[in-house]
Amino acid sequence: MKALAIAALLAALPLAAHAADKTEAETALAAAVKAEDAAGQVGNRWVPAEAALKAAKAALAAGAWDKAVAEAAVAQAMANRAVEQSHEQETAWRDAVVR
Amino acid sequence: MRKFRGAAALILVAGLLAGAAPAPAASLASAAADQKAFQDNFRSRFPAVPFADFANGPYSVNAPMRKQWEEIMQFPPYDFALDEGKTEFAKPFANGKTYADCFPNGGIGIRQDFPYFDGKTGEVVTLDLAINRCRQANGEKPLKYQTGMMASLTAYMAETSRGKPFDIKIPDDPRALAAYEAGKKYFYTRRGQLNFACASCHVGAAGQRMRGDILAPALGILAAFPIYRSDWGSMGTIDRRFTSCSAQMRSTPLPPQDPAYRNLEYFLSYMSNGVPISGPGTRP
Ligand code: HEC
Repeated sequence: MKALAIAALLAALPLAAHAADKTEAETALAAAVKAEDAAGQVGNRWVPAEAALKAAKAALAAGAWDKAVAEAAVAQAMANRAVEQSHEQETAWRDAVVR
Repeated sequence: MRKFRGAAALILVAGLLAGAAPAPAASLASAAADQKAFQDNFRSRFPAVPFADFANGPYSVNAPMRKQWEEIMQFPPYDFALDEGKTEFAKPFANGKTYADCFPNGGIGIRQDFPYFDGKTGEVVTLDLAINRCRQANGEKPLKYQTGMMASLTAYMAETSRGKPFDIKIPDDPRALAAYEAGKKYFYTRRGQLNFACASCHVGAAGQRMRGDILAPALGILAAFPIYRSDWGSMGTIDRRFTSCSAQMRSTPLPPQDPAYRNLEYFLSYMSNGVPISGPGTRP
């Protein structure tokens, strides 16, 4: 969780220096949507990833570019982690089976 | 010889692709062995709990909670649902048929046989799904799955089956075995932001306290459904419970009766064979 927060922070950092524009926000959102779709493909959507994605979309619609970029970064980081988790679990689940 | 070497190489590659230790192939025998290991695990961890008592969820493993339950049961909060379900069950559809026409034995005393694997459609059929299919076959709209009339109908049908042990069959059909395996995998797979599997709480931590709750053991975990929960303030079906546990894992819940949830129910019910139906239930 901490790692995610830091990743999101890092992703958002450069934008504090120069305010994001619409194109950057749209690009960030598209990347987040793509990542979340990949999480959906492996059946592992996370509730907070979807919430961040929703917030990013709302920010984009409201013209809040910086916020859109930041929320999209959170969503993307979480979605990537979800895909990794599913990947690990593809075999690791067997270790948990009661035997 | 060359052919043989080629085949050996292929097997090796397949083994590497599948991961270091190739998983043992699933079979009816391995499913039966899973069931025995699963039941033995709970028996040995809770030696004081009679096997049939695993039908009572958290009450089976926590004495103070059981006392509270006995008090609640003087006026069971699911009584209204039972009455409503019984009336609805007997009420003819617009075409004159009834629910009884859709089920073996007129729908009475059959809860323990659900879910079952339907060889015709190649899928797992839960009681809730069968109820909606019955309605649709008779020109009625399907019911919502999580609460309301669906909970009332399943409450009534469970009540007519009380004491009958779960009797889930895996027919000798590779698709049935695949459905079982998918349910098993779902149960043990970590997912969601908190990195939990169903098993993390209901196997590993069964009987322990989590916030105000005692975690129900996975053995017999569906025997009491549907349930009335005070924190819901209403009745809830298996779909409602799966949905809320998924959300607790910060994992986006699947739609009710999603094939993955049905396979999960198939696995959990098969693990619980022999535990008697106790539903409807009530939880604080
Ligand atoms: C973080 C812990 C946690 C995880 C993970 C979890 N649950 Fe639960 N579950 C609970 C709690 C808390 C309750 C309510 C107390 C109780 O009855 O166990 C509950 C209740 C239940 C019940 C009802 C038990 C009863 O007798 O009332 C079922 C069925 C259930 N969970 C199934 C699942 C399934 C299936 C999964 C995986 C999708 C799952 N749970 C994952 C915490 C968890």
